[in-house]
Amino acid sequence: MKDKVPVIVFIGQPNCGKSTLFNSIAGFKAQTSNFPGTTVTHAHSEVLWRGKVYSIVDLPGTYSLTPHEPQEKVVLTHIFKEKPDLIVNVIDASLLCRSLELTLELLELEYPMVVVLNMMDLAEKKGMKIDVEELEKKLGVPVIKTVAIHGLGTKELMINIERAVSSGKAPQAIKYSREVEKRVQQLMEIFPEDFPIVANKRFTAIKAIEAETLAVDKFFLENNRAFKQELDRIRKEISNLREAPAYEVISAERHHLALKIFEDCCRVRHAKVSWVEKLDNFIMHPVLGYLFLLLIFAGMFYLIFKVGSPLETWLLKPWEALRSSIESQFGQSLLAELLVGLIQGIGGGIAIVFPYFIPLLLLMGFLEDVGYLARAGFLLDAFMHRLGLHGKSVPLFILGFGCNVPAIMATRILESKRDRIVTALLIPFIPCAARTTIILALVAFLLGPWWALGFYFFNLLVIALLALILRKFFKYSSPGLILEIPSLKIPSLKNIWQKTYFNLKEFVRFAWPILIAGSVFLSLLTYIKFDRLINAALSPFVSGLLGLPQTLGVTLIFGFLRKELSLLMMFQALGVGYQQLLSVITRTQLLTFVVFVNFFIPCLSTLAIIWKELGRKIAFLSIALNLSVAVVLSWLIRLIFLVF
Amino acid sequence: MFGRKENHHINTQHPEGICTLLEVPIGQTFRIVEIKGGPGLHRRLLALGFHRGDLVSLDGEAIMRGPVLVRNLTTDTRVALGRGIAQKILVEPVKSDEG
Repeated sequence: MKDKVPVIVFIGQPNCGKSTLFNSIAGFKAQTSNFPGTTVTHAHSEVLWRGKVYSIVDLPGTYSLTPHEPQEKVVLTHIFKEKPDLIVNVIDASLLCRSLELTLELLELEYPMVVVLNMMDLAEKKGMKIDVEELEKKLGVPVIKTVAIHGLGTKELMINIERAVSSGKAPQAIKYSREVEKRVQQLMEIFPEDFPIVANKRFTAIKAIEAETLAVDKFFLENNRAFKQELDRIRKEISNLREAPAYEVISAERHHLALKIFEDCCRVRHAKVSWVEKLDNFIMHPVLGYLFLLLIFAGMFYLIFKVGSPLETWLLKPWEALRSSIESQFGQSLLAELLVGLIQGIGGGIAIVFPYFIPLLLLMGFLEDVGYLARAGFLLDAFMHRLGLHGKSVPLFILGFGCNVPAIMATRILESKRDRIVTALLIPFIPCAARTTIILALVAFLLGPWWALGFYFFNLLVIALLALILRKFFKYSSPGLILEIPSLKIPSLKNIWQKTYFNLKEFVRFAWPILIAGSVFLSLLTYIKFDRLINAALSPFVSGLLGLPQTLGVTLIFGFLRKELSLLMMFQALGVGYQQLLSVITRTQLLTFVVFVNFFIPCLSTLAIIWKELGRKIAFLSIALNLSVAVVLSWLIRLIFLVF
Repeated sequence: MFGRKENHHINTQHPEGICTLLEVPIGQTFRIVEIKGGPGLHRRLLALGFHRGDLVSLDGEAIMRGPVLVRNLTTDTRVALGRGIAQKILVEPVKSDEG
C-alpha cells in the first residue's frame, strides 16, 4: 500500500479555474505529461509534496455526472475505471449555488473528497460572504478557499490533500427528501446479484433512475427484464410525486438541497455595479458590442499582416540566403538539391511557427481565458446559424487568415465533433497569409487592387456556399445554442502559455517533420528531372482543361508544400521576371492559375494537422473537396473569360 | 421512449399569464413553470442549473433573431440560449412582493 502513488482527480464545472489551480499546484511538480485524447484532453501531473508523490489528474469541466457530452464521458470513465483516492471538487465561489449541485452529486459517490472554493476574490467583489465552517459542516468534507490565479491557498490545499489521502475518510451522501429517498432505498434493496455496483448501492440506484431515456436503459432491459420492470415502477412513482420525469425530480432534489445549503452558508449583500459589469454590458450591447467585435477582428488582421507577414519575410531571409549560397557553391548536384530541400522545410516551419502560430494561438487563448470567445459566439450565432455552424466557429475562421494550421488546431474549442469537422473542412478555403501574398503579388499588382478585393470577396462567397453545401451532408442536429456566459475575468498568462505550448509541441513533433520530409522528397524529384514527367503527366489537365502553359504543372506540386512556393516556381517555370509576366501569359490564364493555386489542396502542414486532429478520412475528404472546388472554379473562370 | 409522455403532458393553451421566455420584456423577473422539449435538452438545462420554480430574467438579445441572454436569479448564472430553446421554457410573472 505504501508504494502506491495516490491518484487525485480535479473535477469541477467549466470555467471554475480548475486548470489554473492545477497549474499552480503542478508547480511543485516532479514531472508533467499530457495525454491528448481525440476530442478532449486532460492533463496529468506527478506532484511531489513533503517527500511523497501524488498523481494529479485535471479532468475536463463538467456540469453534471450524467453523460451526454464527450467531456462528461471522459470524467465518468475516469471516476469509475481508475477509482481515485481523492476527489478535489473545484468550485467557482462566485457561482457557489449552482456549483453545489455537482458537489452534491460527487458526494453521492462517497469517495474521500475535498472542496475548493476558488475565485474567492470574485465572490467577495460580488458581495458574497461565505461561511466556510458552516459549509464544511453541511457537506462533511474539508473546504479550502483559494484564488488560484494568484496562487493563494494552494499550500493549504496540499496540506488538506495530504491529510485526506492519509486518513482515507469518506464523506456521507446527503439524503433527499423523505418520499424520494424512500424510493431510492427501495431500488437499492432489489438489485440483482450480478448487477454492476458503481461506487456504492445508493449512487448506483440514483444513476439507474436517472438513466431513463439514456442508452444505458436498454442495457438494463436486455439483461434483466424483471429488474427493469421494478425500476420503471419506481421511476413512475417518483415521477408522480412531482409531476415531472424521474430524472428531473432527482435533479431538482439536488437543486433544492444546494439552494438550502447556499442560503445557510452564504449571505449576499448587493454590491454596486462594478466596472467589469459595465464593460460586459458594452461588449454584449446589440450595437456597440458588434463594433467592438469588429475592432477585435481588425486587430487580428493587423497582427497577421502588419506583424506576422513582415516577420515571416525577415525570418525567411537567412534561409533564402543560405539556399542561394548552397546553389552557387554546389551547383546542381544531388547534395545541393537535398540540402536546399532540407533548408526549405526547416525554414518553412519557422515561417509558420513564429509569425503566425505562436502569436495567434496566444491571442486566441487570451480571448478564451478572459471569457470573450463565449460572448463572440453569442453575438454571431444567428449569422453562423444560417451557414449551419455556431457562433463559436467565427474566431477560428479569422485565425485562418493568418495560418490555417493553428486555426484547425483551435477547433478543439468546439464541443461537437460535427462542428469541428465542418469547420476544419472550411478553414483550408480561407486565404491564409501565404495565399494572400500570391493574391497581392499576382492579382493586385498586375491587374489592380480592385481585382484583388473582388477576389477576396469571391473567396468568402465560395466559403459561404460551401458551408451551405456541407450542411446538406453533415446534418445540423443541434437544437440550438446553449452556452454559459462566464463572468469576465483577468486571464492567467500561465494558462494561456501552457495551452499554446501544448499545441506548439504537437506541431513541431508532427507537422514539421512531414514538411521537411516532403520538401526533401520534392528536391529529389527535381534532381532526377522528374518535373518534366510531372509536367507531361499533368499536361492534359493543366493545358487541356485550364488552358495554362504546360510548364506550370510542376509549380502546383510545389504549392502543396507551401503555397507561396507556387509563386516563386511560376517565374522559374516560365523563365521570366515579375514585370514581364503578362507578356507570356494572358490575364485569363493568370486568374485561372491564382484561383487554382488558392483552392486546390490544403498545404502539407494543414493537411497533416487535419489528419492528426480529425483522422485520415477527413483529411482525404478535405483534399477531395479542395481539389474539386479548385478544378470547377478555375475551369469556370476560363469559360467566363472566353465568353466575355 | 421513457419520459417523453410525461414531458408533453402540458396542453398548448397556456393558462393566464404564462408565456414563453421569448415573449417576456427585458429586465423583468419571471418564474420557470415548465421546460418543454425532449429529454436531451431538458437534461442539459437541468445540468446548467435551470429548474422549475427558478426566477429568471431576460438580459438581452443578439441581432438578426440571434440567441437571447438569460439570467437565472436563483443560482445567479447567465447563459445564452438559442431562440428555439428559449421558446421551450414557459414562465409566469412574479408578484411584486416575492421578486
